[in-house]
Amino acid sequence: MNVTRRKFIQITGASAAGLAVSGLGFDLTPIKSHAQMLKTKYAKETTTICCYCAVGCGAIVHTSKKGDGRVINIEGDPDHVINRGSLCSKGAALSQLTENENRLLEPMYRAPYSKKWEKVSWDWALTEIAKRVKKTRDASFEHKNAKRQVVNRTTDIVSIGSSALDNEECWIYQAMVRALGLVYVEHQARI
Amino acid sequence: MSKSFLIDTTLCTACRGCQVACKQWHDLPAEKTINRGTFENPADLSFDTYKLVRMREEVINGKLNWLFFPEQCRHCIEAPCLETAGDPGAIYRDDKTGAIIFTANTKRLNAAEIIESCPYNIPRKGPDGTLAKCDMCIDRVENGLLPACVQTCPTGAMNFGDRDEMLALAKKRLAVAKKKFPKAMLIDPDDVNVIYLVAYEPELYCANAMASNAVFDITRQVALGRMIRPLTNIASRLL
Amino acid sequence: MTNHWIDIGNSDCILIMGSNAASNHPISFKYVQIAQAKGAKLINVDPRFTRTSSKADIYTSLRSGTDIAFLGGMIKYIMDNKLYNKEYVSSYTNGGFIVGKAFSFKNGLFSGYKTNDIGPLRGKYDKKKWAFEMDTNGVPKIDRSLKNSRCVVNLLKKHFSRYNTKLVSKITGTPEADLLKVYKTYAATGARGKSGTSMYAMGWTQHTVGVQNIRSMAIIQLLLGNMGVAGGGINALRGESNVQGSTDQCLLWHIWPGYLKTPRASNVSLAAYNKKWTPKSNDPLSANWWQNYPKYSVSLLKSYFGENATKANDFGYDWMPKVDDGVDYSWLTLFDNMYKGTVKGLFAWGMNPACSGANSNKTRKAMGNLDWMVSANIFDSETSSFWKGPGMNPSTIKTEVFSLPACVSVEKEGSITNSGRWMQWRYQGPKPLGNSLSDGDIIMELGLKLKEVYKEGGAFPEPILNLKWDYMTDGLYDPHKVAKEINGYFTRDVKVKGKLCKKGTLVPSFSWLQADGSTSSANWLYCQSYTEKGNMSARRSKVDAPNNIGLYPEFAWCWPVNRRIIYNRASVDLKGQPWDKKDWVVRFAGNVKNGKYVSKKWIGDVPDGGWYPLENPDGTKRKDAKHPFIMRKHGHAQIFGPGRADGPFPEHYEPLECPVEKNYMNKQRMSPVAPVYGTDADAHATCDPRFPIVGTTYRVSEHWQTGLMTRPQPWLLELQPQVFVEMSEELGKLKGIKNGERVKVASARGSLECTAIVTKRFKPFKIAGKTVHEVGVPWHFGWRWPVSGTEESANLLTPPTGDPNTRIPESKAFMVNVTKK
Repeated sequence: MNVTRRKFIQITGASAAGLAVSGLGFDLTPIKSHAQMLKTKYAKETTTICCYCAVGCGAIVHTSKKGDGRVINIEGDPDHVINRGSLCSKGAALSQLTENENRLLEPMYRAPYSKKWEKVSWDWALTEIAKRVKKTRDASFEHKNAKRQVVNRTTDIVSIGSSALDNEECWIYQAMVRALGLVYVEHQARI
Repeated sequence: MSKSFLIDTTLCTACRGCQVACKQWHDLPAEKTINRGTFENPADLSFDTYKLVRMREEVINGKLNWLFFPEQCRHCIEAPCLETAGDPGAIYRDDKTGAIIFTANTKRLNAAEIIESCPYNIPRKGPDGTLAKCDMCIDRVENGLLPACVQTCPTGAMNFGDRDEMLALAKKRLAVAKKKFPKAMLIDPDDVNVIYLVAYEPELYCANAMASNAVFDITRQVALGRMIRPLTNIASRLL
Repeated sequence: MTNHWIDIGNSDCILIMGSNAASNHPISFKYVQIAQAKGAKLINVDPRFTRTSSKADIYTSLRSGTDIAFLGGMIKYIMDNKLYNKEYVSSYTNGGFIVGKAFSFKNGLFSGYKTNDIGPLRGKYDKKKWAFEMDTNGVPKIDRSLKNSRCVVNLLKKHFSRYNTKLVSKITGTPEADLLKVYKTYAATGARGKSGTSMYAMGWTQHTVGVQNIRSMAIIQLLLGNMGVAGGGINALRGESNVQGSTDQCLLWHIWPGYLKTPRASNVSLAAYNKKWTPKSNDPLSANWWQNYPKYSVSLLKSYFGENATKANDFGYDWMPKVDDGVDYSWLTLFDNMYKGTVKGLFAWGMNPACSGANSNKTRKAMGNLDWMVSANIFDSETSSFWKGPGMNPSTIKTEVFSLPACVSVEKEGSITNSGRWMQWRYQGPKPLGNSLSDGDIIMELGLKLKEVYKEGGAFPEPILNLKWDYMTDGLYDPHKVAKEINGYFTRDVKVKGKLCKKGTLVPSFSWLQADGSTSSANWLYCQSYTEKGNMSARRSKVDAPNNIGLYPEFAWCWPVNRRIIYNRASVDLKGQPWDKKDWVVRFAGNVKNGKYVSKKWIGDVPDGGWYPLENPDGTKRKDAKHPFIMRKHGHAQIFGPGRADGPFPEHYEPLECPVEKNYMNKQRMSPVAPVYGTDADAHATCDPRFPIVGTTYRVSEHWQTGLMTRPQPWLLELQPQVFVEMSEELGKLKGIKNGERVKVASARGSLECTAIVTKRFKPFKIAGKTVHEVGVPWHFGWRWPVSGTEESANLLTPPTGDPNTRIPESKAFMVNVTKK
């Protein structure tokens, strides 16, 4: 009969267990107390709703109160009546979405025919965008269509997005692009 | 009273929330993986992966099944790793929970021996020789929280609580499962604190679902049972 | 969703078809399994065996693009075996309406068809041919006994009489025995007190027959009396956390916030606009809720332009852009125009069209024709960096790109609306990382810049300058201010419902809105969400309603007016008593005197209007009642849907690209009215030996949409590191492809490299006696992340066509080939 080393150790290990419980073993008192402090103990706690699918699961965000003020932990909210504390793999990874070295952290600009991104300031970026919008809009603005009906629009600027925005952001966004006269206004729900 | 898990695989949908929640809570890094022709990933448990949902496609009675098995340490009632180590500073049992805890001192152990001793092939060695595996989220448990994997489970596949409570739940769930799956069973319920409920033969789910078998014509459980039975709660008689 | 997530747990039978809920909406399975534990049956129909299938009581497969054949067979089964709820169909649906004689169906075409010479549409119907017969008062003629041969249910029965299981099986590839098993199990929910629910997603919408896929199921639900009841409904599992909310706020070309219509050029004044879009019913029993349209449109204009919107200037109606009548401005057309070079500027806000748009190669090339693009996102994307993507030469691409860093959701405050219409408030945890900003801040700042540049003049500056833009506090975007505007204010002291409402106070609910400018409401559907009582969406009470069916009325807030299950007055019989005594939604509890109701009281959920039931306890009809489907002009749910572009009944048509030379159901191979785009980038191929395999796309649990919010995350990439193609063992053998090897998947439009998953979970189909293979590719990948650049989007494969009603692309059924690398 082949007795592998692995199985041998399993048996001898088990024998030691017999010894231990019969009082002939060694002292089992741990040398290190494991009544650990929770990493979330002194964190700020806020509730959120998961940003992935549309089940709308609640999660608790633990943010460090000291130091960098960043996220320590995000887990399911047990007091949320839909998910009752549970989260799937994506929801369970929410903290890594937030604390992620790949995130875009500065406004960037790519000039015509350029091979690279350039870091720019917010003020510069938004000022330049407003200029581009005005130039394109003014050049293309249609007061009336071919049938001489009032349309007050531009079809040269288009907008897509976004269900990644909050309701309030969606509302001001659509108000802004509609005030500009955009009619090509689309987003994720169409695809 | 120790704590136990009941893992009801008949409810597991392999969303793998548990696998990520474990990494999230323990701040474990991701592994570099490739798609190996399966959804299952990483390929194995590791120093950085304490929990791994195994996935198997099996045709049983002419019907296709996709079997899911969230694999992790069983926190054995009489843990061979602990006994083999013989070094309570490296591997010890937490009295309150029954959790088998590996400390940084596992570095000084003979890692191969510890790994070999595990009937479920769970512990894994890190680059510096330290051993790691599931710690039952003992920090959470001692602060009144559920282990991260249990809290995150949407379907009730992962359950955690006092051992007698979990045994009672196991009995109830097994009765339900048997109606649909006559071969349903609990895996090694007398010997471990992480009890799996499976619908079919355990070996269909994963290589080490059940404690390694037959040595010298007796199973490990029998060997264990002969030595320690009088002192344990004989769960199988209740079930 | 007509119902909501928790309600799935109340169902007796759950049909998951056109979605993979266990994988893509994992937490929904909490409720699927709660229902199963109480004895509910789970049926799953999918081309491929999925995580959902692994938990199903009945699983069967069908070829992608054949759902109407499958469901049409169920309609026939229900009609033939008289399994429908006759009382429900006759009283609450248009099943008894008499259809005019001009309606007909021959050779796969409904009456009124004309082919189209210009534009992408293949043809068009004159819908007037499908009108109901009207009585002298202008009310539809109804035969509630359902005997008239031209009443809707009899036309329905005739229409689907062709859908026998043998023919259905020939088209779908589903074994006949499986069809019968599904039909029998699901149709059992037509019994009084039983409920069945449908969970679908893009597996139904992304087809040239997308709308009619869902119509087919809606017809089944109406026949079985499953609308309005607990554990019932038509439940679209929406894919993004706020795609419901963003749709409600109407970031879509054809609608304004609250599903009002975008004005057409022919709506020359506010009066003309309101007249055109306000339906009129002559039936005193029809609530015809949209008769309130002018109150909602004027309140919206008051929110857009505030004090600047006055009665004298039509509340600023002329400042808003108009679309041309009969012209489409949807996504596919937008990118078609961009490809043709007529679009100069693009805002891509939290979107990644380089991977999410069908036929991505065309989309990516189109972006090279722009003068400028603004992209706001959390990560650098395949869209913002398109100019350096695969096959691109930056030195030839002129497009200027502004890439703006948005913060993530936990770094800002505001609300989102889930698939069950629950509006939920989120709070700020950490501050935005680095120099990222909330989208709200970026939009507010950009709006201020635009106002600034137009102060000095320019084309038609009025709407920009007059736009109400006071949503900041201490120089920062304030979501509470917008949330209150969305709810709406009284703009002056006014007496409504006999009560004095003070200027500047919040409107209690939409029944208080006015058409005279005395109220504002940026979205009437959300009126009641933020009132003088506070922010309703932030509520957290875990106390259930008295019916104990998981409504949790004081947890968050849901539209409309916190009604958790819509059409809920169809959950009761004509006397107001629930079909289901146990899991009831609403019940009438008014006092009874001499067999008549003498006081009005509903309990349970917020009823769809609080009118008296249609009948008294003694069976006499009431004149002060309203039919339950209050959003329909005639108050009845529509088994016959004469408003759809492609016919009042669903009909099976093959996808643009399909493996069969003809449609075995009728003489039209594909939808005769679907749009097919025609540039050189829009190639397509049917029954072409180069592309013999059916292809489909889908999602996995571990990634999300284009993957831009999951691929940069190591934990998720660990679980699903690479794009893959799933295929049957039979196809693997045929092609000599081994599990795990890299292969090429190609369509007429593009190709990508994938890892082969050769699996038992895909099986070849027998279609009209021939073996047809199908493969599937998840669409979550793109060259930017992971940084290897080797993983690409499945949308490189998808075709240039879509649904004629919605123009959602046909990403779920097309033709490909798979070859060894």
